Amino acid sequence: MSELELRLSALRDELAWPETPRFELEFGRRPARASRVRPLLLGFAVLLAVLAGVLAFSPGARSAFLEIFRIRGATVERVESLPDVPVQRIDFGERVDREEAERRAGFALLDLGGEPDAIFVRPDGLASVVYGDPSRPRLVLSQARGAIFDGFIKKTADRGTRIEEVTVDGERGLFVDGPDHFVMFLDENGLITDESTYLAGTVLLWNRGPLLLRLEGDLTLGEAFALAESVE
Amino acid sequence: MVSRPPTEDELVERARGGDAAAFAALVRDHEEIAFRTAYLIARNAADAEDAAQVGLTKAWRALPRFRRGAPFRPWLLTIVANEARNRRRAAGRREGLALRAAHELPSGDAAPSPEGRALAAEERTALLAALEQLSEDDRTVLSCRYLLDLAEEETAQVLSLRRGTVKSRTSRALGRLRRLLDPQLEESRV
Repeated sequence: MSELELRLSALRDELAWPETPRFELEFGRRPARASRVRPLLLGFAVLLAVLAGVLAFSPGARSAFLEIFRIRGATVERVESLPDVPVQRIDFGERVDREEAERRAGFALLDLGGEPDAIFVRPDGLASVVYGDPSRPRLVLSQARGAIFDGFIKKTADRGTRIEEVTVDGERGLFVDGPDHFVMFLDENGLITDESTYLAGTVLLWNRGPLLLRLEGDLTLGEAFALAESVE
Repeated sequence: MVSRPPTEDELVERARGGDAAAFAALVRDHEEIAFRTAYLIARNAADAEDAAQVGLTKAWRALPRFRRGAPFRPWLLTIVANEARNRRRAAGRREGLALRAAHELPSGDAAPSPEGRALAAEERTALLAALEQLSEDDRTVLSCRYLLDLAEEETAQVLSLRRGTVKSRTSRALGRLRRLLDPQLEESRV
């Protein structure tokens, strides 16, 4: 250890740390897992037209972009305020077996190291492995060929949402955690195709090779990282 | 019959099964470092207290997802650090680090002379001031490594960085700190 490091270490005992409070550790019964995880929302058709219209034609919505984050296949935009539109649930597509999902998506599906409870695939090639009750998933790992075009997934979030650029296994990612944000799927022209959602949980988006991966659940960043590392 | 205190793994296992008392026993040893971690990130004692309390509660709820056999402390600190980061973004008043008064400092083996004490105090003040001048990334990684005494691996987990990144960032931050303390080093680079 260098002299400077020794001096820094010595500083530890010399700082006027605030007194450590006595924390409340009287925890009650741990809530059942199903009730703790906020349900992912399903169903989207009505909203698409509304939100697409808002974003495409509302000068207010367009001009209020504060920050834009991009990884291959995904764009996250922070806006002053989210459009006031009804929110609905993501449609993960048709429930199929793994073989069929892989055939339609065009690649071997990844999972979190355990057999998922359900597998879905959308017509646009987004495949999702779902853990927990499919109507109230605990964890969802969605995957698509993110290199198809830039901005396959687009998210819109307001100031209260945490958007953090991260690195997962050496590749770029975005961690999105906060009160409300929408997700939209875009076509190859960058136009919203069909969906948006209200996400109550946390989302980690990252690239792995040609894939765009999206992990959603009630997770801290550390937990999301740990799960992302278990993807195989 | 002599009974031994339960090991961390045993407490984790009991807590995973819903034993709140085991969880309380598990985290009591980590309260101070959890609070200080939150404080170094949030830079506000009230926010740090809040972040640590919420982090402890979240850890209790998330414990069934804790990987068996993994070290508990960095997992707990990661949750607390995330809470602290959220509060830092909400940005209330931020406190600078301060030194304890000289008479409160632990004494060494031999009582230093008044001149020696003054010099040491001056050096500590300069070191702290230089640390505060660093970028947030640099300051945080050095704070974790030296002010919290976290290992490289723990720092990586708490800050959600790769271990190699912690190593390189620490090295660069130390270099920058050294140059702040001795501007002649900076001049010699030009």
